Amino acid sequence: MFKRLTCFFLVGFFVFSLLPAPLRAFEPSPEDRTLLNKIEKDTLQYFTRFSDKITGLTKDSSRAGSPSSVAATGFALAAYAIGGSRGWIAPDYAYNRILTTLQTLRHKAAHEKGVFYHFLDARTGKRVWGSEASSIDTALAVAGALLAARYYPGTEIEKLAREIYERVDWKWMMNNSDFICMGWTPESKFLPYYWDSYNELMLLVALAVGSPTFPVPPSAWERWLRPEGDYNSHKIIFASTGALFTYQFSHAYIDFRDLNDRGINFFENSREATLGNREYSMSFSGKYKGYSESSWGLSSSVGPGGYKAYGGKPGGGLQDGTIAPYATLSSIVFTPELSTQAARFFYDRYQKELYGNFGFKDAFNLDKGWWANEYLGIDQGITLLMLENYLNGESVWKKFMGLPAIKRWVELTGLAKQPSSITKN
Amino acid sequence: MSQNRRKHFFINKPLQLRFMLAVILPLFLINLVALAGLYFGIWSKILETFSNEQTLNDLVTASRMIEYEQARHPIASQDFSSLSFFRQTEKLGQHQREVFKGILDETNRSLFWKFSLLLFFLAWGTIFISHKIAGPLFRFSKAFNEVEKGDYRSRVTLRKLDEGHPVAQEFNEAMEKTDHLFSDLKVLAQEKDAPQAVAKIKEKLSTIQTSANV
Repeated sequence: MFKRLTCFFLVGFFVFSLLPAPLRAFEPSPEDRTLLNKIEKDTLQYFTRFSDKITGLTKDSSRAGSPSSVAATGFALAAYAIGGSRGWIAPDYAYNRILTTLQTLRHKAAHEKGVFYHFLDARTGKRVWGSEASSIDTALAVAGALLAARYYPGTEIEKLAREIYERVDWKWMMNNSDFICMGWTPESKFLPYYWDSYNELMLLVALAVGSPTFPVPPSAWERWLRPEGDYNSHKIIFASTGALFTYQFSHAYIDFRDLNDRGINFFENSREATLGNREYSMSFSGKYKGYSESSWGLSSSVGPGGYKAYGGKPGGGLQDGTIAPYATLSSIVFTPELSTQAARFFYDRYQKELYGNFGFKDAFNLDKGWWANEYLGIDQGITLLMLENYLNGESVWKKFMGLPAIKRWVELTGLAKQPSSITKN
Repeated sequence: MSQNRRKHFFINKPLQLRFMLAVILPLFLINLVALAGLYFGIWSKILETFSNEQTLNDLVTASRMIEYEQARHPIASQDFSSLSFFRQTEKLGQHQREVFKGILDETNRSLFWKFSLLLFFLAWGTIFISHKIAGPLFRFSKAFNEVEKGDYRSRVTLRKLDEGHPVAQEFNEAMEKTDHLFSDLKVLAQEKDAPQAVAKIKEKLSTIQTSANV
């Protein structure tokens, strides 16, 4: 009996030790949790500081002269709702900021059949820089609006958010094709680019399929390519750039842990992609002193040579020693231990150069002695939402997954609700 | 062919040097003014542009816009424009190209007006200078025509600043001599004493050389 029990425990211990580390429950130390909360709270300040006081439209970047971005504005709506619920900003302030912003989006912001132009003048809401009516940026704005509506049910906020969502003609954006077009301009009409392969498109297609007014057919979900690749034994449905943000944006709002897409679990996929991305940058640690076990995160960000789509393999695999801390932090739901360790490392080691009033700045490159002196709205937004999911009981996921549109998308696309073995935080 | 080759570049040195000076000096002065205008105009515009905070921000934003585009999808092929002459613009994005195209087009417009003005002055200068030569040539041509018709009273009178005064003077002297000769012959031809008149005419004609000389 004793031998059997010993064998049982030994086998059990062996099997347990074989499990990948991130699958095990990880609980950050009280100090780390305090730090993560501080980062989330400081990151929120980006949206209060860089949103127009009258229109509520949020600047694309903290850089002087930056226009407002409709995607960043969407993140701002989510951020205010989260900040208000957490008591970091006054409830009235949060409510009024959201209301003002939604009123601007509903009545003032330039759009084409409900699809917002990517960049707007923060004061007037007019299209600037010849930007395109952008489907993905509209989706990010709508997602933020719908999430905020969930925090304020039965209010004017919910009504405006619904009107903004229902106004978007997603079907028109398909341009009679199988996929949703990336954008449209009055000068060139539809852009020659479509959301036809895996990347941050999932949130967009989910909202388009679930639309109560102008839905796209469920086939628009089924048909986009799911290219398979592998890196260091990580099998990944990959995005062309390999940038971490492509594996994060949809996951900020949608809880993919229990959704089975014909055998693919996209939460697991993002976890594998994150681990692969980290290992890819570590493979260059001999070449770039910035890359190490605790210092990783290849994603689209500003860099010494401008904004670039840094990323891992499979995918573009562009790297030059630049690290985007936002991407590391935003992986926290996939790799909590590794992301927390990296956050602590970045904060303790580079606080003076890299951390400011609005959280982590966008990126740095040790080899070139370069530190970003700006924050990007969408990068701050994804950081805040992912931290909120991780630190505050998956609150964003829970609220967003309760939306009728998301339920409709799950139902219409046959995404089987399949309880996974993924540890819930 | 070799017979027609010029042996001397300066046939009439003072005239050619004057002509050279007359052409070069105004051209030099006009070019000097135009180039100084362009040099200071363009550079002050560039410096003004780059020292303007709004423009600087716009340039950075324009650059960022295209970096966003490039990060999201490849750049579509560009239509032919003033930037197409510069290979370096292949590295620019759509919005960057638009900003630089605007600057280049403005510079080109400024250059166009300055060069148009320069061309006008050059054309005017050329007409003014060529008139000093074309005028005498016209008067000589007219005089030759009159001589051809038998009017030996014709003389060439040039304006003060015209070229060719020495030639005109020599021509007029030659014409005066010829006019006198023919006048004398005419008077002799009217004398009543024919044999004496013929002898005088022969004497007069012996002083001139013609193709009939044997």
